[in-house]
Amino acid sequence: MQPSTAASSRRSASAAVWIAYAVVAAWLALSSIPVLWTTLISLRSYVDAFSAPLKWIAPVTWEHYARLWVDQRFYVNFGNTAVVTVSVVTISLTVGCLAGYALARFRGSIGFWLLIVALVFRALPHSTLLPSFLAMFDAVGLRDTMLSLVLVLVAINQPFTIWMLRAFFAGIPQDLDDAAMVDGCTRLQAFRRVIVPVMWPGIITTGLFSFLLAYNDFLISSALTNADRMTMPAAIAGSIHAESEALLMQGIAGAVSITVPLIILVAIFQRQIVSGLTQGAVKG
Amino acid sequence: MRTSEFARFAAPSAVLMLMLLALPLAITLWLSVRQCTPLLEMATVVQTGPFGTETITTQRARFDQIGRPIESCEVVGLANYRQILGHDSADAGSEQRNEFWEALKFTLLYTLSTTPAILVGGLTLALAVNLVTQRLKGVVIAASLLPFIITPVVGALAIKWMFRDSGLVPHLLGQVGLHVFWMAEAWSARLLIILYGIWHVLPFAFIVFYAGLQSVPQDSLEAATLDGASSWQKLRFVTLPHLAPLVVFVTLIHVMDAYRVFEPVLVLTQGAFTASVQYLTYYILMQENNPFKASAAAVLTVLGIAVLLVPLLRKTWREQRKGF
Amino acid sequence: MNPARRHLLRATAAGAVAAASGQSMADTVSTPPACHRLGLQGEVNLLGNSFPAIQHIARIAESCSSAGLRVRFKLTPQARSETELAFGSSRVSPFDAAVVSMGVFSTLHARGRLYPMTDLVRKHGERYRLEERMLVRVDGEVMALAFMQNTQNLYLRQDLFERHRLGVPRTYAQMLQAAAVIRRAEHDFAFPIAQGFAKGFDLATEFTNVFAGLGGRFFEPGTAKPVFANDLGEQAIETLRSLLPFMTPNALASNADDVMNQLQQGRAAMGVLWASRAARMDDPVASRVAGKVAFAAAPAVRDGGPPAAHLWWDGVVMPRNGGPRREATFLVMMDMLSEAAVRSGNDLTIWVRSTFKPGRFGAGVELARLAGARPWPGEPFFALAHQELGKVLPDALVGDQSARSVLRTAAAAYVRAARDKGFTPDNARAGGAA
Repeated sequence: MQPSTAASSRRSASAAVWIAYAVVAAWLALSSIPVLWTTLISLRSYVDAFSAPLKWIAPVTWEHYARLWVDQRFYVNFGNTAVVTVSVVTISLTVGCLAGYALARFRGSIGFWLLIVALVFRALPHSTLLPSFLAMFDAVGLRDTMLSLVLVLVAINQPFTIWMLRAFFAGIPQDLDDAAMVDGCTRLQAFRRVIVPVMWPGIITTGLFSFLLAYNDFLISSALTNADRMTMPAAIAGSIHAESEALLMQGIAGAVSITVPLIILVAIFQRQIVSGLTQGAVKG
Repeated sequence: MRTSEFARFAAPSAVLMLMLLALPLAITLWLSVRQCTPLLEMATVVQTGPFGTETITTQRARFDQIGRPIESCEVVGLANYRQILGHDSADAGSEQRNEFWEALKFTLLYTLSTTPAILVGGLTLALAVNLVTQRLKGVVIAASLLPFIITPVVGALAIKWMFRDSGLVPHLLGQVGLHVFWMAEAWSARLLIILYGIWHVLPFAFIVFYAGLQSVPQDSLEAATLDGASSWQKLRFVTLPHLAPLVVFVTLIHVMDAYRVFEPVLVLTQGAFTASVQYLTYYILMQENNPFKASAAAVLTVLGIAVLLVPLLRKTWREQRKGF
Repeated sequence: MNPARRHLLRATAAGAVAAASGQSMADTVSTPPACHRLGLQGEVNLLGNSFPAIQHIARIAESCSSAGLRVRFKLTPQARSETELAFGSSRVSPFDAAVVSMGVFSTLHARGRLYPMTDLVRKHGERYRLEERMLVRVDGEVMALAFMQNTQNLYLRQDLFERHRLGVPRTYAQMLQAAAVIRRAEHDFAFPIAQGFAKGFDLATEFTNVFAGLGGRFFEPGTAKPVFANDLGEQAIETLRSLLPFMTPNALASNADDVMNQLQQGRAAMGVLWASRAARMDDPVASRVAGKVAFAAAPAVRDGGPPAAHLWWDGVVMPRNGGPRREATFLVMMDMLSEAAVRSGNDLTIWVRSTFKPGRFGAGVELARLAGARPWPGEPFFALAHQELGKVLPDALVGDQSARSVLRTAAAAYVRAARDKGFTPDNARAGGAA
């Protein structure tokens, strides 16, 4: 390469880096400002939070958080979210791993059809199933229970889960479980002993998507549960049309409270997300 | 793997999906052609209350022997569908609204405008983050994912509190002389929901493309460099083709998700100017308390997504077929 | 210690304390015991909106929880639809009682969803000093207990009106004139009028008020046939449209909260709003104009006509498909609607009880009633017309459709919705399965 070309390519390379940092900075601003602003106004009293014109500096108060978590018993909703989310992730992954593994190893056309049908199911808007969920659960007396919510969320989650897990399992050479079965393991033992430990990055990534679905769901949760059984997002739905400014401010505090665990989560798991995606779905 | 083994492994998942996805869909279909109406009788009643006494002519329920209000349920064929589509021929010459069509129009607008934006934006961001120093990458990735992981209800509320009258954005725009009242008009309300959609989904496209960039075959890149290719040419002829299947993947997932847009419509505008198909079904079910009409809206929604998805599905079908 | 023994000890202690404080036995008997000492058993679930007054009675209701009784009061803005779903279920209702507005009451009663409380009232009413005005009777049976009332009043910035020597507007025309003066004279008041024109409930209510102010009728008398797609309806829409130039362009997305905010932040100089919300304008935690707001009866549409407002009540109802804890539920209700409850929450709303001491804004309902405002329409099918109007009125206000065509669309949609619910909106003489 001629020296001048090398120099010009170095210059364009560093220009590209500057542009890259500018793009990243712009996006970071866009992505964090709404959350930061919401947090800011959650720490003000109503007259300052929604003042006209806007106030940049205002007295700080923690009363909304106190009233939300103690008076409105938000800790109950937090507990419900925890229970629902853990259940959904556990059951989804268990059931999904089995199915994903089977789909990766089975060569028949039933597998193909199952995947296509699952894909179609993933496209279903959740509200299309609501009328029948309400009727079904009413009929068997499971209306307004966390069990019904968990089951529905697991089912809604299955298509995406089995697609992703199948892609991960397909990336693991068949020789691994063949060897285990030659050694005398049944299919299930081979699965457990050989495959699963190798799968952790894939399981974490898929688990995270399940977690997000269960944690963030609003439509199904607000329709299927009431009062003490509501998850956090359903519980703050009231802030959409708050009828008293106290409840509105508590709703804002609730919105921030819901987001904090998510931020912590993604901070911890961001590397696994990337590596999981690199290994699995990206290939598929 | 033998078929019996496959059946045992896949059964739990299949049963769950059958019971809680396929069966409800069938029930929704059945509900959509039915209607239950109470049997009412005319009556004149005397009602007293805090404001005195009134005589009201009303129509009220009749009761059976057990004391339950009598309802008659029957199959009504396509009547619910006609109602939603505004083709009810009952009143000749009366004006009718096609609620579903209005909702579908906006849903399609939302889907078709957000998709290219997130693809281009996600790719740009992925390329940019790729050039960031290794030490900062973790933090940058985590922070960039924020709009995607936020609870949609929370995200939509956060946007609403920023864009309302005298909120942060109108205040800043006002400083430079731009006065927009976002929730007031159709175009601005729609734009706001579309902007929310792009903000919310771009990180997903970003992270998928970024993961894809990590697996671009290095030898191809090196060969291209040796051949004297510029960065732009390398991007166009090596990187992008490698990412092509991911573009299809992201598009497929996003079209499905965009079609079901709900939270921003509910939170930002409560359906004024901007109903979406999922919002329409929810509204008819919860506000109008009409599960039968809601089921008809639901079936129409599913037909809509089927039409939209067929081209994308065929591509996926062909690819998957290769693997079997 | 078993609950019964604990209960006995508490009762004895209460008696001792009462005796010690000099109360006569007669007084102790006539003041009903606090509900958590009644020894009630089971679980009682209540439902209501999240208005401040309802938050207050919810707190009192939940304090009834004791050793054997668990009382939960769910507060949500979706209370209306949840009530209809719960009371209409073929299974036992998850809620034993609900707070509803009179419009929802009419709908529920017509569908046969409510439980008559006449016997319970006869048994316990006197002890809790239930007033006749609180009893909503239909053909003699008590179907609801009304405890708070409301109407729409006109709120105005007294300081600004005095400064510009403006009289209290008595008609919408005068309101517009005052708004024009203030806009010209004051820099900060580009949008002097604040009113809730949000699509749906708010806008439909505005229309209903103005339409009634013009003397309009929604239905042919004695039937469910809609007759509001007429000249008076068009006039009502025109009146609403005339306000738009003086309101923020976001008015078509503004509900009562937004209107309150505009007044509280000093962005609007006047507006028609619920009487019950008025007190919030004097609280410095929420308002920057504390002490500067006065109110009057809602303006009339015609000179000398009635105010464009309606009288509302909110009350508690019990479902026909309720569980077996009816008496316990009723006693909890009695406690939360008692004189003590009104006393401790006096300024939160306009209570129906005669012991209510109206504050600065509390006389709003009386004022409207004296000026000729009528109760909100009590026909059960009216809610459907209201809902359909709410969907299409925005089109008329922005000019996308003519007023007449919008009204006709709403009427046609109402007819279809009414038929779905079993009403007969086209045949005046039809009834039931004839």
